[in-house]
Amino acid sequence: MQTDCANVVDVEHLAKQFGHVVALVDLTLHVRKGEIFGFLGPNGAGKTTSVKLLAGLARPSAGSGTLLGYPLGDRRARRRLGYLPELFRYHDWLTAREVLALHARLIGERVHVRDLDAALQTVGLRARAGDRVGTFSKGMQQRLGLAVALLGNPELVILDEPTSALDPAGRLEVREILRGLRDRGVSVFLNSHLLTEVEKVCDRIAIVTRGRVVAQGTIPEIAGASAGVRVRVRENGTPLTQALAEYGPYTRDGEHIFAPEVHADRIPALVAALVAAGAQVYAVEPASTTLEERFLQLTQERGA
Amino acid sequence: MIEIAALTLKELVRRRFVAGAFVATAALVALTGWGFFYLNHLHEARGRPVTHLEVLTMTSVLLILIAYLFSFLLAMAAVFIAAPTLSNDIETGVLLPVLARPLSRGAILAGKGVALAIVIAAYAILTGACEFAIVNAATGYVPPAPAASLAYLALSGIVMTAFALLLSTRMSALGASIVAVVAFIIVRLGGIAQNVGMYYDNETVRHAGTLTQLLLPSDAMWQSALFRLEPAGMVAAMSDAHVWPGPFFTTAPPPPAMLVWTCAWIVAVALLAARSFALRDL
Ligand SMILES: Nc1ncnc2c1ncn2[C@@H]1O[C@H](COP(=O)(O)OP(=O)(O)O)[C@@H](O)[C@H]1O
Ligand SMILES: [Mg+2]
Repeated sequence: MQTDCANVVDVEHLAKQFGHVVALVDLTLHVRKGEIFGFLGPNGAGKTTSVKLLAGLARPSAGSGTLLGYPLGDRRARRRLGYLPELFRYHDWLTAREVLALHARLIGERVHVRDLDAALQTVGLRARAGDRVGTFSKGMQQRLGLAVALLGNPELVILDEPTSALDPAGRLEVREILRGLRDRGVSVFLNSHLLTEVEKVCDRIAIVTRGRVVAQGTIPEIAGASAGVRVRVRENGTPLTQALAEYGPYTRDGEHIFAPEVHADRIPALVAALVAAGAQVYAVEPASTTLEERFLQLTQERGA
Repeated sequence: MIEIAALTLKELVRRRFVAGAFVATAALVALTGWGFFYLNHLHEARGRPVTHLEVLTMTSVLLILIAYLFSFLLAMAAVFIAAPTLSNDIETGVLLPVLARPLSRGAILAGKGVALAIVIAAYAILTGACEFAIVNAATGYVPPAPAASLAYLALSGIVMTAFALLLSTRMSALGASIVAVVAFIIVRLGGIAQNVGMYYDNETVRHAGTLTQLLLPSDAMWQSALFRLEPAGMVAAMSDAHVWPGPFFTTAPPPPAMLVWTCAWIVAVALLAARSFALRDL
């Protein structure tokens, strides 16, 4: 099988069935090196299943692929992989520092206590380094999980809903951490159903629903750049019909005009034409499909 | 593998398994010890003097009874420690981040198995050695082959550990524990059936019993341990009297080949468990 060195994840037509439940129908994905890749989908879409196939925790029923250049399930790929599971649980009878020390040994690296504490500092747990994980709140355990995932300079970090238990400040911190990873050239695979989170950090995304990838690309590519313009005008005697003639169909409701076929770069010309016709322009708003609208379209289409 | 073994031992210590087992078992040994001291100072009963030979005979029988109960305790301890150590880690998700590291599932299972086998064997041998020592101090009695009998007891514990681990690769801790305990009891009854078959010269019953011993050799190891606790005089007297051999007494211990079978069985079950765990989706 051919592997593209620029990609950290290449999978083709992965499928997964758990008994009668079909969790994944067709997963074809390419994640490039150094990018933050958002994997979006509604609940039960198959995101966690996909991640488990990538991390070698479950075996695909069909399809194949590579992770960091090795076939799925190969242990060598896991040497440079960081992983935060959706259901994060760590040995609750160990201290936070001991959990990190354990993982450092499992990676096979000599990591100093200093480095472990630095890792805990990054996720805001430095003060609790010596406390048992069993005494941590859910959010603190998720922070610990993040520190575990970032340990040992991974090349690819897979995060399954990494902010599900975090407060708003924690979510912001995670975004900062993700940007820091990108700056260091680390690839990130971010599973999420939170559109805003994905919109803010991801370079490229894939939308998955009912076990299939229905869209893949950058956010503008998927959301669509523009879908017309809304203008609020008050005319000064002269009707605007002529001025608007060359801008395609439009609808009018009192002062509000909506011209759905006007592309973003023609908006200034439209405004100039309206002004030339003597109209007073109060507001101009380019209408674009938001990621949310597109997401709902894509994920509901198939449900119909 | 060593990391996981060390982690498993640490868990048993941190979760106070070790401390709890130590205190409870120390109480058990101390109480039986007190009983034997009491027995040794019994110089007269029902107006008849109690000879030292009588005390020694009684001690040998009592020690076998204690060993019999301890073999149950050991099997339960093995099952109830081994079954959750894998099942619970799978169910709670603690294993997910560990399995995403570059170590094989076989290594994880081997680490846990080795640690548990060491703990169970050490428990059997230490408890047994303390009991033998205290009995000796109280009455002067020494069983015929104390070391061999402890080694066989330890093996019966390891058999149950391996079996419970195999079950826990696919079942919940509770499910695996129940199945392992029931299997242990079936096999113990199988051992009795084997003796009944021999006593009445009934091949069918004997073979059925033998089959259970081969499938799960925990009782075969108990019978081997038992035979090493029986003074030669007792065996001779019982054989002459053609007494029916129950689970507390045997004149025909399993052949040496059974020891080889048991070791091979443990290895095979360990490999099967590794395979079963490796193929499981988490
Ligand atoms: N171990 C499993 N056994 C049976 N069904 C499962 C299992 N894991 C996931 N599923 C099913 O697969 C589908 C996708 O689940 P999942 O990947 O967890 O979705 P997501 O993470 O996108 O919310 C769901 O219908 C879920 O019920
Ligand atoms: Mg999920």
